[in-house]
Amino acid sequence: MDRRHFIGQSAAAVGLLAGLSSQTKAANLQKAEILVIGGGYGGATAAKYLRLFSKNTARVTLIEPNTSFISCPMSNLVIGGSRNLAEITSPYDTLSKRHGIKIIQDSVSSIDPDKKTVTLASGKTLRYDKAVVSPGVSLNFKSVEGLAQANKDGITLQAWKAGPETVALHKQIAAMREGGTFAITIPEAPYRCPPGPYERACQVANYLKQHNPKGKVIILDANQDVTSKGALFKKVWAEQYAGIIEYRPKSNVVGVDAKTKTLKLEVEDDVKADVLNVLPQMAAGEIAIKSGLANSNGRWVNVNFLNFESTARKDIHVLGDAIQIAPLMPKSGHMANQHAKVAAAAIVAELSGWEVNPAPVLTNTCYSFVNDREVVHVASVHQYNAAEKTFKTVPGSGGLSPAPSTLEGVYAWGWAHNIWADSLG
Amino acid sequence: MTETIPMRVKYLKPILLASTLIGLSQWSGLSLAQTADQLYKRGLAATCANCHGTDGKGVVDGGMPLINNLTSQEMLAKLKAYKSGALEGTIMPQLAKGYTDEQLTTIANQLGKKQ
Repeated sequence: MDRRHFIGQSAAAVGLLAGLSSQTKAANLQKAEILVIGGGYGGATAAKYLRLFSKNTARVTLIEPNTSFISCPMSNLVIGGSRNLAEITSPYDTLSKRHGIKIIQDSVSSIDPDKKTVTLASGKTLRYDKAVVSPGVSLNFKSVEGLAQANKDGITLQAWKAGPETVALHKQIAAMREGGTFAITIPEAPYRCPPGPYERACQVANYLKQHNPKGKVIILDANQDVTSKGALFKKVWAEQYAGIIEYRPKSNVVGVDAKTKTLKLEVEDDVKADVLNVLPQMAAGEIAIKSGLANSNGRWVNVNFLNFESTARKDIHVLGDAIQIAPLMPKSGHMANQHAKVAAAAIVAELSGWEVNPAPVLTNTCYSFVNDREVVHVASVHQYNAAEKTFKTVPGSGGLSPAPSTLEGVYAWGWAHNIWADSLG
Repeated sequence: MTETIPMRVKYLKPILLASTLIGLSQWSGLSLAQTADQLYKRGLAATCANCHGTDGKGVVDGGMPLINNLTSQEMLAKLKAYKSGALEGTIMPQLAKGYTDEQLTTIANQLGKKQ
């Protein structure tokens, strides 16, 4: 063997070793069982991007009880009657047909983080190497006396999780007596979708203005002031809904009398209304709490913001509304989608033996309809801060709309169509 | 030249042997390989996808301005103009100010139309 020949063989051997090494790591990615629990904005996006970021090599199973995805963003327009539920519903099967994700239509009854197994309501047990938990929020009906039964009986509705109650609440508003009152109650922050209740009040007022002009909307807000887009909403209430919307801050609802449709407040006098939309305190989705993941006041899940892994349990990554947020990070669908992409990239990196991206970025954009055409937004950009191990908004970035506009109404629907396609298409 | 050809044949042998042992999946696996850096860049560009579509391919006639007709150079010029305030808009001037110039360059390179 001459020298050149030897070098040639060595080079081939080194190349082969490198190939074997990357092959071993790729095999970890390909062999790992990744279970995604919950098919909302967080979970559906995580499932899809685990496939995209792994170049379709990761094995991904999505567990979701519903047959189709109903968007919470835009659902206030269904309550206001200008849109219907079909317009905000997307199928799940695109995720299996187009992206090769296995979908199990079931709910998760328990997670065993020690054995790394998930048990389904049907009784089946699945093993995982990585679990992504995106369960949304649970509504604590016990935080308001009498609410659990009133909601069970359909006398009060939450309609905060979009679905049948969204349609039912619209029907209650449409059937309300002439000159009747709709009351919405807002719990202390944090809760899912900070501007959502104020947008809802606008949508109901917009409906009443056209169909029941003597009707009224009362907003009973446990917070000190409007929690999002405050100046914009107040301007709209004064200009478009004067005499229809009444805003009462620092009004904490503690009880509901279903027979008389009366709300009991902590300090102020009782409020009687014809249609009650009571939003109780919220916490991480039940499965997160049951699994011991909610290590922030027993309500929210603390995560490592570089990979969204729970600080309580290894190899369980938690996304979306269920987490204890970073400062100024909203509990929104847009943000859940962004969490999912950081988590998916981190999981692919970990299973490939790579360092997780040390500088992830998140954005948020949130549109609120103030009537059926005009919209206001809030936007923000969040860069990871390594020293403080959290996301920080960038000074000078983000902000609000100067005023409601129909152009932003067009963009709001553009956002909806694109995020639905990005998460589920 | 005459010497080179048989040499190549010789040192191809171990590779062929290895490929037989490992199986064909390795070669399809290698074609799918990406680097950590590529993954980070895809992740950064994915922050735009909520509004502008997965990989910058937005829903046609969906109501949001489409960006996939722009070259990387055009996209970067637009993003920098939003950031400086030279270009007006609704959300984009606010979002562009949140990214570093290097991040905007990466996004434009990832999502810009490849020529």
